[in-house]
Amino acid sequence: MAEDEKNKNPEIVGFACSYCTFKASEMAGSLRMKYPEGVKLIQVPCSSRVDPAFVIKAIVEGADGVFVAGCHPGDCHFIKGNYYTRRKIAALKEMFNIFSMKEKLRLFWVSAAEARRFVEKVTDMYNDIKEKKNEG
Amino acid sequence: MKGKKIRNGDIENALNKFLKDEHHLVLGFKKGTDGIHHQVFKGGVDNYSLINHVFGTNGALYLRRIFSKGIEVLLMMRPCEIRAYVELHKLTQIEREDIIAISIDCPGTVSSKESKNNMPAEIDQLKGYFSSNNSMRWACSVCREKRGVVGDGGIRFDKTGNLWIIPYTEKGERIISIIEGELEEIPHEMLIDRSKETEKFQVDMETFNKDFEKCIMCMNCRDMCPVCYCLDCVFNGDEYLPKGDALLNKVFRTGSTTMPRGKDLFHLIRMYHVSQTCVGCGACEEACPQGIPLTKYFKGVSERLQGLFSYMSGRSFDEPIPYITFLEDELKEAED
Amino acid sequence: MRTGIFICHCGHNIKHTVDVKRLCEYFSTFPGVVVSKDYPFVCSEPGQDMIQESIKKQGLDRVIIASCTPSLHSELFKDLLKKSDINPFLLRRVSIREHCSWVGDDIEINTEKARRLILAGLYSAAHYIPLEEKVVEVQKSALVIGGGVSGLSAALFLSRMGMQVYLIEKEDELGGHVRTLKNVWPAGRDGKIIIEEMIKDLKGQNNVEIFTSTTITDFEGFFGNYEATLNTPAGEKKLTAGGVIIAIGFSPFDARTKPELHYGEDERIITTLDFEKNGDRLKLPEKPRVAILHCVGSRDEQIGKPYCSRICCVNALRVADAIKTRYRDAYVESFYMDVRAHPRGGEEFFEDTQEKGVLFTRANVAEIIPAPGGITIRGEDTLFGEVFEREFDLVVLSIGMSPPEDSKLIASLLKITLDKDKFFLEAHIKLRPFDTAVKGIFIAGSCSGPKDVEESINHGRASAVKLFGFLNLGYAYVDPFISYVDPKRCSGCRMCEQACVAKAIKYDEIKRVVHVEEAACMGCGLCNATCPSSAIGLKGYMDSMIDDEISAFLEAI
Repeated sequence: MAEDEKNKNPEIVGFACSYCTFKASEMAGSLRMKYPEGVKLIQVPCSSRVDPAFVIKAIVEGADGVFVAGCHPGDCHFIKGNYYTRRKIAALKEMFNIFSMKEKLRLFWVSAAEARRFVEKVTDMYNDIKEKKNEG
Repeated sequence: MKGKKIRNGDIENALNKFLKDEHHLVLGFKKGTDGIHHQVFKGGVDNYSLINHVFGTNGALYLRRIFSKGIEVLLMMRPCEIRAYVELHKLTQIEREDIIAISIDCPGTVSSKESKNNMPAEIDQLKGYFSSNNSMRWACSVCREKRGVVGDGGIRFDKTGNLWIIPYTEKGERIISIIEGELEEIPHEMLIDRSKETEKFQVDMETFNKDFEKCIMCMNCRDMCPVCYCLDCVFNGDEYLPKGDALLNKVFRTGSTTMPRGKDLFHLIRMYHVSQTCVGCGACEEACPQGIPLTKYFKGVSERLQGLFSYMSGRSFDEPIPYITFLEDELKEAED
Repeated sequence: MRTGIFICHCGHNIKHTVDVKRLCEYFSTFPGVVVSKDYPFVCSEPGQDMIQESIKKQGLDRVIIASCTPSLHSELFKDLLKKSDINPFLLRRVSIREHCSWVGDDIEINTEKARRLILAGLYSAAHYIPLEEKVVEVQKSALVIGGGVSGLSAALFLSRMGMQVYLIEKEDELGGHVRTLKNVWPAGRDGKIIIEEMIKDLKGQNNVEIFTSTTITDFEGFFGNYEATLNTPAGEKKLTAGGVIIAIGFSPFDARTKPELHYGEDERIITTLDFEKNGDRLKLPEKPRVAILHCVGSRDEQIGKPYCSRICCVNALRVADAIKTRYRDAYVESFYMDVRAHPRGGEEFFEDTQEKGVLFTRANVAEIIPAPGGITIRGEDTLFGEVFEREFDLVVLSIGMSPPEDSKLIASLLKITLDKDKFFLEAHIKLRPFDTAVKGIFIAGSCSGPKDVEESINHGRASAVKLFGFLNLGYAYVDPFISYVDPKRCSGCRMCEQACVAKAIKYDEIKRVVHVEEAACMGCGLCNATCPSSAIGLKGYMDSMIDDEISAFLEAI
């Protein structure tokens, strides 16, 4: 792959909760669903483990996008964890918005059964970021 | 709302009366040879100043980790300082039990680095002074709450030059009872009005990087921030900001690196950490040796992030800090 | 640090799209990496032997296995590390199959992705510390919630195996819905007799305590030592149990939810459950015209019940059969979507019913209109595409099963999950159909989805067997991934304490710092993310580990 082309491909760091989204990604793999290689996952026990500092760190260190993904509201294995995640990430998204980079952070809810949804969400994000990146 | 009209000398008398008890202290302002400064008064007050038109530090900074019971401290400070105190109380950095917080109408301040010559001392004159030139600190010009309406009680100025002391809690009532006179209905209009809405802060990373280029990572902004309360900040270790060999390793792994490394990380993470508790006092900017427009960023970001949860730092003792609570049905627009 | 990296080919599954040889060479140059090997199947016995030998010979203190996803084979590899005398929590699994080789087809791209994934594992593992799995004593007792047929069979099995059983029932007598059934499929026995027999057996055991008219008000603890607070007629009672079986059954679908059926407004419109109770006493003309509606409260997206209730087709057939037996000349018409007579003998019974002259019309019923002369059914015949209107003397609604009315309450008390239809969710539909995601809490009977009596009894027993296996060990390992506080760094702001869902964080008024009650900590890491100075950390998912994973992913080389 040419070096230029490589730089155009976004790097996306995803935080995936062990009980839902990580399971969905496992299932997506088992079903041989394809999604861009720029998407790499960090497994966390619960989306509420994601310290907004991690997201900021990833962006500062050069990630083109970060997503935080957990169980649907009400389905959290740790009962209420994802409600806190939503508050924190919503605030962080607002902060990213202030710095005119709101496209760089997304928050998904993907249950363990939703492999297809996982692939759609990450692929959409990847494509949107890639488009924006190659524009400017 | 009811309050007591204060005559000349009433406040000093009341403070002196309060300080007769050897377990009582007052944190307020004292006229010095060069400007007005924070002072802890014991036994009685001298050269007392009700207002302070010079901003050096946020007085709430001195309240952190006051836990001792049995020593009653009366705070006579600016609204931004009382608001920071309220936030620190929510963060268990102060025991509220023995603290009485009175907020005083604030006409705005100049930076402690500015020349203070020829500045009037009376509040109504100050108001005119500030409107005649642009010496007021930027933080004060966009202040969200200049009125003495937070804490246990407030001291307000009406338009005819009278002073009012108004209780907001039982503790406030207790202090006010020291002052002679009867409670009466306070005037509707006061000298200091509700603050105007400021424009929503919006910026981009390019401007941010330019503004913070000068940063030398002395971390004075953090040290002087009244709500940056951590005993051991994450940026003290070398986890986020590697030092020594760890730094060299990092440079070898990531390539050319500007120094001091990680200043963007430091400011952005700190911005998030104080996003719900920042009172916008501008103490960070005051402490910055490089003149970085920190208030613009910290106040701008925190105001928008607080707005997300209809929260305002220091407004009330009862509102929980948004990150430690939630509603089941909210923020749908944040979900992708 | 002495790290060993083992990269699995997984036959062709990984090797096919990842250049494992190149990866091995690449990582062998890393300082601290003393072994870097690839192998066709690291989970095979020779593969395990190779790892064990490397650990022993090279004195490894970190083992990185890049293979399938961590939820597979992790126990096996952990045991391997234990056998090799190193702490099992110095193992790092990197998923290069489900998250890499199966995701893309390009070998160059995949190799680069796998390199970064393994790098992240390598950096992260550098921060690993040996953790001790705590052993806790497990009480040999079980709490069975729900005294229906499923709960009874679970309680009976456990008590016979010598476990102390606490059976609690919300109603004033045991038996649930089965008690009211006169004729239980397939043998046609009286439900009351089945129940009475079970109760008699259960009461004969000396290790069973039964609480009727009792509800749960509070539930705490963890596997081996759950603590439940009961609201009994004799007042509040607390008890401890090693494990729990939830068998709270179902709620019959309330046909009033669908106003177009006019159920409850006319006594000629009844449900299959009404028919079961009072069918004998119905006053019908000599040649009655009877309509039977299938799928009432099942397979109905509009009312949020898209699932098949599985029992109602046979119930509908039995009503048809009963009427045909009593009134030979009755006109019986069944309106169905699909007939799913799934239990044993169901299909044959369906044929019998058809032979007896019951008419089956594939239809969507739009409305039931009661009038003094008769009840009109209006609908569409979906085979012929025609609209019809017919008059009947009796309409029987074959109602489905709705989730138990207490399912939300129990789920929130016991911290377990409901599926989208509000039945309890199993941990894995095939591999762990009786478990919930919480260790030691099992589900039995129709509270995990519609089941008939036979299935409910079997499900109850199966859950009991599974729970017995857990309890009988007498001890359990507790995951060491819990939070801990560095008291030197804690500012005592109590943010984590207020946020903690498990209420596992306690504040010390004197030292002005918090500490973690290890037994109560669920290990979600919310506290870690809430603490601005990260003075509280989640073992196994420390800040430094995650930070370095991020760095590895984004390393610019």
